[in-house]
Amino acid sequence: MTKVSITKLTKNYGPGIRAVDSISLDIPSGEFVSLLGPSGCGKTTTLKMLAGFESVTSGGIAFDGQDVVSVPPEKRDIGMVFQNYALFPHMTVRGNLAFGLEMRKVPKADMDRRIQATLDLVQLTPYADRYPRQLSGGQQQRVAIGRALVIEPRILLLDEPLANLDAKLREEMRVFIRDLQRRVGITTVYVTHDQAEAMTMSDRVVVMFGGKIAQQGRPGDIYDYPVSRAVAGFVGQVNLIDGKIVGVDSGIARVDTPFGPAEVKAGHRTEGDPVTLVLRPEAIDILPADAAGGVTASVVASYFSGAILDYTLALQDGQTVDVKTIARQRFEPGAQVRLAVDAHRFWPLEVG
Amino acid sequence: MARQALNAYSILIYIFLLLPIGVVVGASLNAGEFLTFPPQGLSLRWYVAFLNNEVFMRAIRTSLWIAAVSMVVSGIVGTMAAVYYVHYAARWKEHMRIAMLSPLLLPEVLTAISLLFFVYAIGIGTTTMFGLLVGHVLITLPFVFMNVTSSLEGYDPDWSTAAQSLGAGRWTRFRRITLPLIKPGVFSGCLFAFVISFDVFTISFMLKSIGSSTLPIQLFDYLKSNYTPEAAAVSTVSIVVTILVVVISEKVLGLRIHRF
Repeated sequence: MTKVSITKLTKNYGPGIRAVDSISLDIPSGEFVSLLGPSGCGKTTTLKMLAGFESVTSGGIAFDGQDVVSVPPEKRDIGMVFQNYALFPHMTVRGNLAFGLEMRKVPKADMDRRIQATLDLVQLTPYADRYPRQLSGGQQQRVAIGRALVIEPRILLLDEPLANLDAKLREEMRVFIRDLQRRVGITTVYVTHDQAEAMTMSDRVVVMFGGKIAQQGRPGDIYDYPVSRAVAGFVGQVNLIDGKIVGVDSGIARVDTPFGPAEVKAGHRTEGDPVTLVLRPEAIDILPADAAGGVTASVVASYFSGAILDYTLALQDGQTVDVKTIARQRFEPGAQVRLAVDAHRFWPLEVG
Repeated sequence: MARQALNAYSILIYIFLLLPIGVVVGASLNAGEFLTFPPQGLSLRWYVAFLNNEVFMRAIRTSLWIAAVSMVVSGIVGTMAAVYYVHYAARWKEHMRIAMLSPLLLPEVLTAISLLFFVYAIGIGTTTMFGLLVGHVLITLPFVFMNVTSSLEGYDPDWSTAAQSLGAGRWTRFRRITLPLIKPGVFSGCLFAFVISFDVFTISFMLKSIGSSTLPIQLFDYLKSNYTPEAAAVSTVSIVVTILVVVISEKVLGLRIHRF
């Protein structure tokens, strides 16, 4: 059970090349945190600094209040899972699991017990004596996780561990890892560029752009209340609607939108200020053309993917919007429909 | 048709390459006084003569000893150089490779002469075997370097990183992870080093100290004044030693190559 504190952590690769720019983050004991962002945003560099594989230019990293910046990786007591698994190819599954325990000089009997417990945990007992090359991708992944956990590390670090798996297995592994992490209760930092992965697994998502933390919070909050265009766009599909505030009343601003009036929190804004509103595609209801309420639109395209139907629609002023619905009712391209949105489903961006 | 022509061609090449060895082995079984082929009658008398010839026996011991030392030194230095070259060398990588391989590119006699000057210039001289050993290491080093480098190309640095995250220090990572995985390269590099050192003439000729003739040198000296089948017997033994080293080390040390 380890609490991680990152303070003004910075990494420069030579003058002018700043990979991580003064980020601060507190991770409570047992929390599952995802660092989410596009490639080059500094998330992997941050993880490597946590592990000790990348030197720190300035700032601090503390495990349970104890500074670890000068501690080499082999003494940090971390469990790390790599994107390509990095299993030792000349050792069996058991040998891979034993390695970290041997480094810690764990007595033989204790070692056997812990390896067995971990094999059970990652459901690999029947494969204990196989070599990595004899296992499937998902099994190799579980060995990698087992190898990281068997040493009972202070924190678990995962670097895009599901990137090499096919879609179906990836979804299974998400659930598997999340479930495992809850059972073990280990503080976990998970690096990914896949927003769905970050959303489904994490207690907290930290969105990073350009070496900085753009926003952090619970998955639902990041999704519903993004601070910027970039965050809104990165954590899912989004319709951005530009409008002007037409009135402010007891902290609630009224904004005119093509969907009718929206009511959002005013904050520091006043009447006449421009504002960009976030409207998630699933917040829009599609109604038949003869329904009451809503605004008229026409279907431009529809994309059927099983349970979900994605539409692109054109409003009367030509603006297009994306709408996501469950595929119970289908409209063909060219059809006239009505779109209805609850006035409270809009969210104003802090920055453009 | 084309395939058969290719087969015939390959067989011809093999005959061309192996025939001289066959001739040497055949000539060594000569019962007569002179080095002739085909042999005049079959006999092992020249092997007996060789085994009773203290000069040759000392030469073969010297050769084996030098080959063993060169192999160990080249094995260690060459492996270290290869690890540095593949995983750490950045700006001077290409220069380093050329420097490491230069003993192969330069004419051996040049290397030998410059080494001779060098060992005298720094005061080592050729009174001890040190200069000779340095020469043998120099000439065998590229073979270890090349073999280890090529096996390191398939080595994923994340294996070392993973071992480090599990608590392994630098030396443990090398011993437990890197070395077992590049063993085939180290092994064949060492084998090359041994065989090349056992065989090399020019370097030994220039740098040998008094009483430290290697087998090829001793054979050359012998042939200057004698022309008996004993020379063929010596050559045959030398060939057999080379083959034995390769075969035995493969069987005993176990060249179990991991395929990934």
